[in-house]
Amino acid sequence: MIVRTGLTGPFPRSEALVAATRDLDRGRATAETVEDLYARTEAEVVALERRLGFDTVTAGYLRWADLFRPFAETWDGFTVGPLTRWFETNTFYRQPILHAPPARAPGAIAARLPPALRDDPAHARVLLPGPYTFAGLLENRSGEAEEALVHRLGRLLAEELRELSSLGFATFQFSEPLLVDRPPERALAEAVVAAYASVRAAAGAATTIVWTYGADALPAFDLLDRLPVTAVGVDLAETDWEAIPATTERRGLGLGVVDPRTTLVEEAADVVRILHALKDRRRPSTVWLGPGGPLDLVPWEPATRKLHLLPAARQALDRESGGRP
Amino acid sequence: MSAELFPAQEIGSLMKPRWQILGQHGDPLDDRARQEFATANERTRFADDARPAADALLDGRPKDAGADGVRDLGALFALRLFESAGLARVYDGEARRIEMYEYPIRQMRGFQFQGHVRSFDNKYYLKAAVTDEVRLERPYHVEEFDFVRRHARAEPKLPITGPYTLADWSYNEYYLARRSGWKGPAARRAAQREFVVDLAQRAIRPTLAALIDHGCRVIQIDEPAAGTHPDEADLVVEGFNAATDGLDAEFSMHICYSDYRALLPELLEAKRCRQWAWEFANRDRDGRDGYEVLGALREYGDSRQVGLGVVDVHRDEVEPPELVADRIRRAAKYLGDPSRLWVNPDCGLRTRRLDVATRKLESVVRGAALARADFASPRA
Repeated sequence: MIVRTGLTGPFPRSEALVAATRDLDRGRATAETVEDLYARTEAEVVALERRLGFDTVTAGYLRWADLFRPFAETWDGFTVGPLTRWFETNTFYRQPILHAPPARAPGAIAARLPPALRDDPAHARVLLPGPYTFAGLLENRSGEAEEALVHRLGRLLAEELRELSSLGFATFQFSEPLLVDRPPERALAEAVVAAYASVRAAAGAATTIVWTYGADALPAFDLLDRLPVTAVGVDLAETDWEAIPATTERRGLGLGVVDPRTTLVEEAADVVRILHALKDRRRPSTVWLGPGGPLDLVPWEPATRKLHLLPAARQALDRESGGRP
Repeated sequence: MSAELFPAQEIGSLMKPRWQILGQHGDPLDDRARQEFATANERTRFADDARPAADALLDGRPKDAGADGVRDLGALFALRLFESAGLARVYDGEARRIEMYEYPIRQMRGFQFQGHVRSFDNKYYLKAAVTDEVRLERPYHVEEFDFVRRHARAEPKLPITGPYTLADWSYNEYYLARRSGWKGPAARRAAQREFVVDLAQRAIRPTLAALIDHGCRVIQIDEPAAGTHPDEADLVVEGFNAATDGLDAEFSMHICYSDYRALLPELLEAKRCRQWAWEFANRDRDGRDGYEVLGALREYGDSRQVGLGVVDVHRDEVEPPELVADRIRRAAKYLGDPSRLWVNPDCGLRTRRLDVATRKLESVVRGAALARADFASPRA
C-alpha cells in the first residue's frame, strides 16, 4: 500500500497577509505591496509542503476567494451572486448565478492557479469544484435541469483538466462536499457518475481524486465506490471509520485525518491504527492522507502545527513496514 | 408585558456615530462628525446627561473627554435614539462593545486566541481555542448595564452572547483532548456538549446572576450560531437551560438567518425562554411569505411571545409602515394570538447608516400603531 500526503484544500492566509489584505480594502496598502506578499506567502506554503514531504503541493490557493469564484468570474453564463453560508461553518462564499448554459473560457483557470505551481506542475495538486457540488450550490436560472447541468459541468471540467494536463499538471482534486452533505439519488446520482466518466475520458494518465468533507460519508459510499476516479477521500472527523464498508475493488482511498474544525493536533498512532484496519477492509492501492477539508478554517500557525501529523504518520508506518510498501 | 398590542423593542447593536469613533481614539471631530453630533443632539438632547464630556469633545479636547466619557456619550446617544423612536424596551446600541465574541471570551480563563480566520473575501475574525477548563474572571456587562439603568427612560433589555455560540465560534481543544483515541463524530459531539455546558454554568450563568442582582429584568440571549448546525439544536437548549437555571428574569433567545423549522421541536425545550426573537423580514420578499414559519409554533402548541423581525437590516430601503403593519397582521394570523407579538428589526442595525436605522425604527413603531388599530380589543 502506497501512502501519499498533501493538502486537500486552501491553506489559511498568514497573519501578515491578513493584515495586508485588510489594509488593501481600507486603502492603506497598494495592490503591488499585497501582490508581493501573496507571492512570498505562496512560496512559504510551498516550502512548508516540501519540508513536510508532501507528494503534491498547492501553494495554498491563497488568492482564491472561494471554490467557485475563479469559474464564476471567468466562464460564460455566470455572474457572482450574494454571500451565502458555506455548509455548517462560519464562512461564506458568493453564490454563482448561472443565467445561461455555461461555457469555459480557455486559459482562464490556468491563469488563476497559484503562480508558484506553474514552475513544477507535475507535483502540483489542482483543486477544482466537483460538478455535483458546483451545480448544487449555484443559483440555476439557466432553465437547465440539475441532472443535465451536473453532466454539462462534468464535461466542462473534463475539458479544463485536458487543457491543464497539456501544461504538465498531473493531479486533479474535485472537491465534493455536497456529495456527502446531500447525497444524490436516482437520476441525479447517475448524472454524477456520468460527469466523472467524462472526467475519466479526459484524464489519461492523470490522477483524479474526488474529495468529500464536512459530513458523514457513509450514506454516500455506494455512489462514491462507483465513481470512475483514482481515489475518493472522506473526512474522518465526520465519518465513523469503523463503519466504512469493505470492498474488493482495489482503488485509492483518501482519508481526511487532520480535522480543520479544531486546533488540537491529532495523534499519529491513531492514524496508523485506522490505516491498518482499513487496509484489511478496503485493500486500497494508494492511501491519500490529508486534512479532512479546507484547512483555512484554522489560522496559519495552528494549521502549520497540525500538518506535522502527516509526515509523523507516514514515518510510523514506514518504521512498522521496514520500508516495504 | 406591555398593556398595548405590538410593543416595539431594540434587538441589538447600532452603528457607532463618527464622532464616537474619532473621540474614542482621541482625535478631534471633523466637520461631518460635528454636524452628526449637532443633528442628533437637536433631536434627542442626549448630551445633556454627559455635559462635561460633550463640551470637551465639541471644544476640540477629546482627550479631556476621555475614551470612557465618549463611550458614555455613545451609550446615551443610542438610548435616546431608541426612546425617541418610540421603543418600549431599549439598550445602549452596544455602544461600548466591538463585537459579540472576543470581549466575552477575554473575560474568561481557559482560552487562547489562535489568530485570524477568513469569513469571506478579505474579511476575517479572531478565533480562540479552549485549552483549559472554562473559568470566569468576573461577570461582564454589569457596569454597562448599570449605566443604562441609571439613564434609561424606557425599560432596559440587555443582550448577551449565548454559550452555544461562544462554543461554536471557538476551537475545542481541552474537552476533545480529554477523550481518548480517534476524535470521530461521536467524540466531537460529546466534547462539544461538555464545552457548551461548562461555558453556560461557569461563565454565562454567574454573569446573568450578577446582572439580575443589579436590577436587570429583561435579558436577550443571542445564539446566532444556532442555525449553523440544526442537528445540535438540543445543545443550544442545554446551554440555554444551564445558563438560566434557577434565575428569575424575563429571558428571550435571539436567532437569525436560520431555518427555524429545522430547530423545532428541540428548541421548545428551552425552559425559561419567554420570547423567541427571530428574523423574518429578510425572507419576506420575492413572493415568499417570511412569516409562514410561525405556523410551526402554533402546530407545536408553543405559547411564548415572539419578537417579530419586521424590517430587514441588510437593505437600505426603509419599509413603509403599511408594509410593517401587513407583516404584523400576517404574523398574528399564523400565530393565532396577536397579544404575544413584540416588534423589532430582524437583527442589530449596525450594518445600516444611522439615518437609515432611525427611519427603520420609526417605521417599526408606526407600522405597529397601524396594525394595532385593526385589533379591536386591547389586551388587559
